[in-house]
Amino acid sequence: MNKKAYYGEFGGQYVAESLMNTLEELDAAFEDAIRDPKFMEQYHDYLRQYVGRETPLYYAKRLSEAYGTKIYLKREDLNHTGAHKINNVIGQILLAKRMGKTKVIAETGAGQHGVATATGAALFDMECTVYMGKEDIERQKLNVLRMEMLGASVVSVESGSNTLKDATNEAIRTWAKTAEDTFYVIGSAVGPYPYPKMVKEFQSVISREAKRQHMEIEGRNPDVVMACVGGGSNSIGMFAEFIGEPEVALIGVEAAGLGIETGKHASAMALGAPGVLHGMRSYLLQDENGNVQLAHSISAGLDYPGVGPEHAYLRDTGRASYVSVTDAEAMDALVELCRLEGIIPAIESAHALAYAKKKAKEMTMEQSMVLCLSGRGDKDVNTISDYLAGKGYLN
Amino acid sequence: MNRIEQALAALKEKKEKAFITYITAGLPDYAKTKAIIQAQEQAGTDIIELGIPFSDPVADGPVIQAASYEAIQNGATLEKTFSLMEEIRREGVAVPIVFMMYYNSVLHYGLEAFVEKCSCAGVDGLIIPDLPFEEQDELLQALGKTDSTIFIQLVSPVSKDRVPKILERARGFVYCVSSMGVTGQSADFHREVISYLTSVKEQSKIPVMMGFGIRTAEDVRPMKEIIDGAIVGSHFIELLREQDFRPEAAAEYCRTFKQELNRL
Repeated sequence: MNKKAYYGEFGGQYVAESLMNTLEELDAAFEDAIRDPKFMEQYHDYLRQYVGRETPLYYAKRLSEAYGTKIYLKREDLNHTGAHKINNVIGQILLAKRMGKTKVIAETGAGQHGVATATGAALFDMECTVYMGKEDIERQKLNVLRMEMLGASVVSVESGSNTLKDATNEAIRTWAKTAEDTFYVIGSAVGPYPYPKMVKEFQSVISREAKRQHMEIEGRNPDVVMACVGGGSNSIGMFAEFIGEPEVALIGVEAAGLGIETGKHASAMALGAPGVLHGMRSYLLQDENGNVQLAHSISAGLDYPGVGPEHAYLRDTGRASYVSVTDAEAMDALVELCRLEGIIPAIESAHALAYAKKKAKEMTMEQSMVLCLSGRGDKDVNTISDYLAGKGYLN
Repeated sequence: MNRIEQALAALKEKKEKAFITYITAGLPDYAKTKAIIQAQEQAGTDIIELGIPFSDPVADGPVIQAASYEAIQNGATLEKTFSLMEEIRREGVAVPIVFMMYYNSVLHYGLEAFVEKCSCAGVDGLIIPDLPFEEQDELLQALGKTDSTIFIQLVSPVSKDRVPKILERARGFVYCVSSMGVTGQSADFHREVISYLTSVKEQSKIPVMMGFGIRTAEDVRPMKEIIDGAIVGSHFIELLREQDFRPEAAAEYCRTFKQELNRL
């Protein structure tokens, strides 16, 4: 057993033998790159000049007053391409270049990671193929158009449930065939080691900035740090710098879909059991026969039956707690943020907002909460308007 | 001695190559699966890989993906497959049978319970494509010193310096994957397939089998001096589908392949 691939009992490298040397090569190249000041300087340069960092830590005054505690929004929605996904993509594509790869592939659910990868591929002149479930292609048409405009080819995955889980399977299969010249850009804090570590490294810029920004305003750490969790990339980036600060409560918010009790949800932490999917051991939604159960959420980005292994570890050690909110709660919070702050959040991020409202009830106006506003809601306007018109949504 | 090792020792004695097939358990239903196993045993198939359908078969190409999906839709489960095994062993089916499955199915069943059940049900070996060398410790420990169920090791054209350590724990036979990627790509073997197979064969104390992308005995002619047997999966599934899962068609294909394989 390769101990460094594990977070407690979670993580590992559950992939075909033919990918093991690829992972070892990747691990060595990654560790080497993050110790190379030139590489990191280049990465941060792109984050500044291209992505538009740093992003503000915005004190949401009206929201704070409405909810009853100080709420700071980490504005990842203001990044180029509209979400936190680009932070990680820039890091991984720079690494791919450094390793001499000429092609990149990616999986995408909501399309944000696909758009970010297509963007990075255009910027660094690489061939890009994005795997996307047929179902997701239908509900995220706008992002499909964006990817194609950026020069990527989008492959419709028609196997299993036709969603993110199946797109990931297909990307893994393609990677196993083509690893010699192809780099697989994983968008969430999932997959075989070193991917969870790599995604955390490239997303931890979120909490490095937020921690300093909060310190500058409040002169201390926040009481609560909160983010939504699908696979867990924005949340692991939001938690990273606070994990070693025991006074800061870390809260991950999963999607409860129509309600945990209905069975139609995406709360791997709440109801999953340890299992193996997509190269990692972690909490996983499974049926009574050990097949992976379909996740369900109004938010395509949270519609994933597993969760990153470090989150599973943070949960089991008690360092972070994980809760879930329903589609309806998330949509209420989404509308509330639109009206109170003039910000249309992604439905994913609205899950964190919905729990912020509940959590704030236990807090005072002297305390503060930092919430990762992981993406903007432009991509969701169709889903939102259908939902508000009472038509339900495609899932 | 384990049943696979026994069968392979007998083949070595007769200087014959092994013919191994893959079928998906419960496709289209368990009665057909049972009949196809029985027909194959009579036709001379040396080892049968019985695929346990899983919702997310990442090591498989479209044919076996579709087979798994359909079998699950038709109600196939690990538990029912164990029952089938118990039934055919009771009825005297003696051909070695290896479960080809994904690790989540093992974990979900529970390691200890799974190993015990395999032993009772006459499962002779396990092939788990998402369980590479580094992740095998807990399962190998659970399998312990028992001889009844052994773990079959896979190597790939890019395993290179990993081969010696993998072979060190290999039992039964070594499963050499002929190409990069997933099952069922047409006989489009890796460009260095001959040197790769030669290298594995030279290092291995046990028989070396080749799988992925094989359709006919003729496909393995270029490596007939190297390998000890051939494994046919996706093509066999396609053929069974075309023939409406008739046991006679399965028997005919297996008989012909086996004969041709040993005449190459």
